[in-house]
Amino acid sequence: MRLLSLRLKSFRAHAETSVDFATKINLLHGPNGAGKTNVLEAIYYLCLTKSFLTRNDAHALQRGAQFFEVDGTFQGEQRASTTVRLAYVPSEGKRLFRNGAPLVRLAEIVGELPLVILSPTDHVLTDGGPEHRRRFLNTTLSQARPVYLDDLLKYRRALKQRNALLHQIRRGGRLAPGTLNAWDEELVQLGGRIIFRRRQFMEHFAGFLAEAYRLLDAVGEEPTMEYVTVASTHDASDAESIAVRFRDKLDSLRRRESEQGRTLAGPHRDEVIFRLGDFEVRPYASQGQHRTVGLAIRLATFLYLRNRLEETPLLLLDDVFGALDARRAEVVLDLLNSDAVGQSVITAARPEMLARHVQFGTGDHNAIALADGSVINSSVTTGIDRSESLEKDEVNTVDATG
Amino acid sequence: MYLTSETVETLVEQFSKLPTVGRKTAQRLAAYVLKMPREDVVQLAEALVAVKDRVMACTICFNVTDNDPCPICASAKRDRAVICVVEEPNDVLALERTGEYRGLYHVLGGVISPLDGIGPDDLKIRELVARVAGSAGGDGLSEDADEPVTEVILAMNPNVEGDTTAYYIGQLLGALGAQVTRIARGLPIGGDLEYADEATLSRALEGRAGM
Ligand SMILES: [Zn+2]
Repeated sequence: MRLLSLRLKSFRAHAETSVDFATKINLLHGPNGAGKTNVLEAIYYLCLTKSFLTRNDAHALQRGAQFFEVDGTFQGEQRASTTVRLAYVPSEGKRLFRNGAPLVRLAEIVGELPLVILSPTDHVLTDGGPEHRRRFLNTTLSQARPVYLDDLLKYRRALKQRNALLHQIRRGGRLAPGTLNAWDEELVQLGGRIIFRRRQFMEHFAGFLAEAYRLLDAVGEEPTMEYVTVASTHDASDAESIAVRFRDKLDSLRRRESEQGRTLAGPHRDEVIFRLGDFEVRPYASQGQHRTVGLAIRLATFLYLRNRLEETPLLLLDDVFGALDARRAEVVLDLLNSDAVGQSVITAARPEMLARHVQFGTGDHNAIALADGSVINSSVTTGIDRSESLEKDEVNTVDATG
Repeated sequence: MYLTSETVETLVEQFSKLPTVGRKTAQRLAAYVLKMPREDVVQLAEALVAVKDRVMACTICFNVTDNDPCPICASAKRDRAVICVVEEPNDVLALERTGEYRGLYHVLGGVISPLDGIGPDDLKIRELVARVAGSAGGDGLSEDADEPVTEVILAMNPNVEGDTTAYYIGQLLGALGAQVTRIARGLPIGGDLEYADEATLSRALEGRAGM
């Protein structure tokens, strides 16, 4: 899949910005605050209906503006071109239009325009809390399988309802017999399917993770993953039997749940343990290893989705090269240049190193200079000084990553 | 424009309390009423009051009706062995439009939703169980004992609350021996029964699944 053009209106620093994209590598460069990352954010909005920077859509609204609007034209490998427009008005929320027709549910678009983003904070995948790992599972699986997202949204709703009920119980409210039981049933059916698909996904994903990690660290130990949930693999092999185990777990927690007024087990509490060889990444890895594993997980996500979907995902890299040592930067750039990756959009404050490896302005690759929320020039290499010393940059980043 | 008339302003306020009516629409409606012939306005006002005075809930199915029992419950042509359970009166209208369904209805008046403080006792669930139980066992004394209910179709909307309410009712009715089916998922995801077109609903009725 390819993004042909993008338009931002009253979005962050962008009063009105239009960008055209080349088929392969697109570099957005310019000083901090120029609005580079917000172009990626706008693309993310169109593909996944939300931001990767904030949970509050109002944050993306330009100061003083009544609404923001983002639209983009995508060219599919299998499909004709699609225009997607997302409009946000604070009092009304978000609305999404595909080829001019409003979508009843925002979630409908997820997976149709697949996307993977690499960012300098990807180390949170292994050194952050379990919510980061669950978000990784949810975002990847939602794009891979629309039914997963449907179940996930329903699960969250059922969870909210069940928590409201447990809250009533905690305050001593009287319930009709069987009410909690009915919510348990809804929760475990949805949860069973979610856990089953997560487990299937992880079995499939392991190979892609090993492959991506080998690219970045040829001599390191092989990464593996373990999914920690309400049921183990050997005693529950399908969604139905996972649901049974989930229900047992809820039964055993009933007293504690009534005391705390919330649901204490299920997909929303699950954990993924990453290992390198025998040792667990989260507590024992160095900062540099967290970075490498985080990057490998994202690249593996790209490889997995490319393999699984009809369309090659769009790859966004937000200021990733600043934190990579020279060898890994080269590995990633080679990948972007190869047939394995389709189109990519990169942001960089200092584009010199990239300009030395990629021929921008040749048709396949495009460098776009931004300042103060507008495009200064496009499709040309002007403004990128190729002569600046690469070595100095490289030495610094090698030190930083250990 | 209505600064000079408090009466008009009052009407605008009343209109804007209605669902989907904003202030602008309310002003347009008020301006229209001002121009209407007096007898039309009287008819409108009477119709509004009549809804409150004359319309009641059917004591059998809890659908809205002018006469108790409602025409569907009173009809000799309906199949009394089948009850279709729905959330709201509007769902009955949607299913009736298909022309496919010939059984009776039971209107719950909502779904179980702890977030809205609605439990089973706030809905007409106990009444449904009594209907099914009364028909199945019978007391053997009354001459006009109802024909036994052999199938209950649960046609709640296909969302989390609808599913949970269906499961809850299914558990209660299962114990009584009636066959309980859930309307099939031919409905658009997230779509309300009320908005489903007739063809979709007909297919859904045909493809209902046992619980
Ligand atoms: Zn009736």
